[in-house]
Amino acid sequence: MKKVFLALLLCLFAIPILAGCSNNKALTIWVGSESVEFYTDKMDEYVETYNSTHEEAFPYEVEVKGVDTGTAASTYLDDVDAGADIFTVAHDNLGKLISGSSSIAPITDAELLAQIQNDNPDIFLDVITGTVDGVTYTFGVPYIAQSLVLYYNTKYISAEQAQTWEGIWQAAKDNNKQALSLAGTDGYNNSFLLLARNATTNATTLRLYVDGVQSDCYATGDDTISVLKWGQRFFTDANGAKSPSSSGWEVELKDEISISFIGGAWHLEAAKASLGDNLGVTVLPTFTITAADAYGTVEAGTVFQSGTFADTKMFVMKKGSDKAEYLQDILLFLSSKEVQEESFATCANLPAYKNALEEFTEFSADTVEAKLASAELAMFDYGIPQPFGYSSKYNTYYYSKGAPDLILEILENDGGNFSTDAEIVAQMQVVESLWKTGARPDA
Amino acid sequence: MRKEENYLPKSKFLRFFVRIGRFFKRLALGIAKGCVTYVKRFIDGSVGTKVTHVIMGFGNFWHKQIVKGLIFLALESGFLYLMIFSPEVNHTPIGGKAIANLITLGTTTGDVSSFGDNSMLMLLFGVVTWGIIIMFLFAYFSAIKSSYKADLDVRNGKKPSSFKEDIKDLLDGRFHVAMLTPAIIGIVVFTVLPTIFMILIAFTNYDSQHLPPGQLFSWVGFENFVAIFVGSGEISARFGPVLGWTMIWAFFATFTCYIGGILLALLINNKHIKMKKAWRTVFVMTIALPQFISLLAVRELLSVNGPFNSILKTLGITTTGIEFLGNADNAWTARIMVILINLWVGIPYTMLMTTGILMNVPKELYEAAEIDGANKRQIFHNITVPYILFVTAPYLITSFIGNITSFNIIYLLTGGSPTVSGGYIAGATDLLVTWLYKLTIDNTEYSTGAVISIMTFIITASVTLISYRRTKTYKEEDAFQ
Repeated sequence: MKKVFLALLLCLFAIPILAGCSNNKALTIWVGSESVEFYTDKMDEYVETYNSTHEEAFPYEVEVKGVDTGTAASTYLDDVDAGADIFTVAHDNLGKLISGSSSIAPITDAELLAQIQNDNPDIFLDVITGTVDGVTYTFGVPYIAQSLVLYYNTKYISAEQAQTWEGIWQAAKDNNKQALSLAGTDGYNNSFLLLARNATTNATTLRLYVDGVQSDCYATGDDTISVLKWGQRFFTDANGAKSPSSSGWEVELKDEISISFIGGAWHLEAAKASLGDNLGVTVLPTFTITAADAYGTVEAGTVFQSGTFADTKMFVMKKGSDKAEYLQDILLFLSSKEVQEESFATCANLPAYKNALEEFTEFSADTVEAKLASAELAMFDYGIPQPFGYSSKYNTYYYSKGAPDLILEILENDGGNFSTDAEIVAQMQVVESLWKTGARPDA
Repeated sequence: MRKEENYLPKSKFLRFFVRIGRFFKRLALGIAKGCVTYVKRFIDGSVGTKVTHVIMGFGNFWHKQIVKGLIFLALESGFLYLMIFSPEVNHTPIGGKAIANLITLGTTTGDVSSFGDNSMLMLLFGVVTWGIIIMFLFAYFSAIKSSYKADLDVRNGKKPSSFKEDIKDLLDGRFHVAMLTPAIIGIVVFTVLPTIFMILIAFTNYDSQHLPPGQLFSWVGFENFVAIFVGSGEISARFGPVLGWTMIWAFFATFTCYIGGILLALLINNKHIKMKKAWRTVFVMTIALPQFISLLAVRELLSVNGPFNSILKTLGITTTGIEFLGNADNAWTARIMVILINLWVGIPYTMLMTTGILMNVPKELYEAAEIDGANKRQIFHNITVPYILFVTAPYLITSFIGNITSFNIIYLLTGGSPTVSGGYIAGATDLLVTWLYKLTIDNTEYSTGAVISIMTFIITASVTLISYRRTKTYKEEDAFQ
């Protein structure tokens, strides 16, 4: 009995040791969990083509793994050697991936660089590059685009009403509902107001780490203050926008407490479940500044278009990979227009290449997915990519140092603390300071 | 002499220092004794034992204990290889160079195509190397001891034990050694070394601005501790309130469940209550159900459009839904709610345990008390309560400690919210551990997280030691039969 007990104990100890000794020689690719099957098929296709066009067979097995793309960068940084040879991240993770001497490899293949330059919109080209030791490199290969759109209940809101917040607001009043639900109060979900731009000039004075400069942030322009004043009316009205609640936006839409919702493609399934056949999708609406909202040079009657963060997911490569010579050719294939289009058809991944709205015929189909894709791509005219990829601290300063809560305080105007222009401007000056330094002006 | 050694001053403060002094005295005496034994074995031992002081296993070869000698020699060879050649794991040396790297934590930053030093791995491998050195020293002294024992066997006319005999002995007479060795190695590898690693991180600037492998981090001394206690930043501003709420939470979460559980057990054990087993089963069901399911269900029940609010609206108590948890207007609403919800998951444990205790209180005690004319209140106060307290005191302490480090309830019910004005990472219901989670996992502020971990450990260890030593359970350990 003692011997058996001891043997079992030794076996128990041997398991982690043996597991640690295992040596995986496969070429690994991390993609979003929803796309594993698609990219596995694509890589099979790639290997087949490679084998038919080369004398020697592709030397590695390819392993495609599904990961949470939101945390893939952190997982990779925790143990770079165990990380995938190619993996997908949101572009705003670039800052932490290339901080210091960079933990990912730059793109060097001329053909791939040319494809990136030719196929992608300018706003993406700016955020996939980074500077290491004074030299600017391209690190990411965009292949999925994403932005915020409006989901709405067609039972209460007509397609025409959905074009303006005033129309939606009126529909909410007519039916004693609330006009809008939000998924959260963070800096991403309030971007529809913060990034709103003059509908006529398509311009905004708001500046957020422009060209990666930490001090180039500005949130106290006349237009921004006017928009926040309009937002305050919208959020404090009984039939206006609804701050996120413990019930969640899905319940609020389903129970018809609210009649619209701002979300991304990742919310589609939940929105379908909540609204079923009554689900409508369109670009984020416009709104008109009234006399009560006008501030400084912004006059009553000025129309603003709701804004969005227009982001991309991109493939990046492991630094020091022993399969480096094969990776860029794989990326050339995986980020090609054809594969992006197939990815949309199979996994509803929105293509990132420019002019996709015009070139890709699938977008004209009469499906919710096609409408969503069209709306998302249309929103790229009114959005900026999250400019946090330049440095790892920008993301922290923008999201985690309290600025979103301060903006929410203005919108909700609790206790009437933000009833005057001066109070709103003062609060936004604190927001600016948090963006620039991570601290309040008096800290 | 003995009496003098046992003497302790009356002042608790002085006693503390006397005990510390005695600990170091015993430590110094132990080291001195070890040194004497080491020299004595060298002088008194055979040639084989003398050489073993330099070449491990030589003494065993000398006494024809080949396998044993080979094992010791392999251990020394492996150790020397590690220390001299410092093989690289993930581009970072482990062994001799790791000791030097532990001092600098890296100096080369690398470039876009090649890796520089990885401060995190350097720190880790430095700690691991120290662990290996300590384990090697243990093996080294064991080798000398083994050789010297063989010398003594020969001197006493015995044959030195063979490897087979040693193994047989390990599986029989010294089976406890065979069993405890893997456990001790496991504790060192999986508990002691990570703890030392974590403590050392508290003295570095390993944070979101110094993330390996792209960036180096370095030693900063007590800067992180200073930032928490006397700094002007976010961590300093929130540490006191979070610690305060953690202690309030731990106190109420512990005692409400404890008292509630006892009362429930007493109620169910009351002779007038029927279907006792059924009642117990109902409450045990809450233990059987995974805690996070219960908590998520409660969260939904209490949501602003959930069933509870619907009932309130139907009864006309409120016209709009009330936010009870993370979105509550008042932080104390959320705090009180999490304490109340905790009753649901906490009471059944105490109830179950107390039921067992009540069923085992000797009937003779009650009979004797009744004969002596004690009334029910006196019996309860003088027999039942002391009996329960005596047995459950350690549970009460562990429960208090468990609540200080409780994660699930806060994280799943409120996520630490409501947010605190000013937008700090730590919300109004965040405990030290949930704050720690946010700091490290969400914000990669590892050094600050390490300081908070150390503070949490100091608090829990102090509370445990002080309170347990004051309980009857400790003072009258042998009294309970």
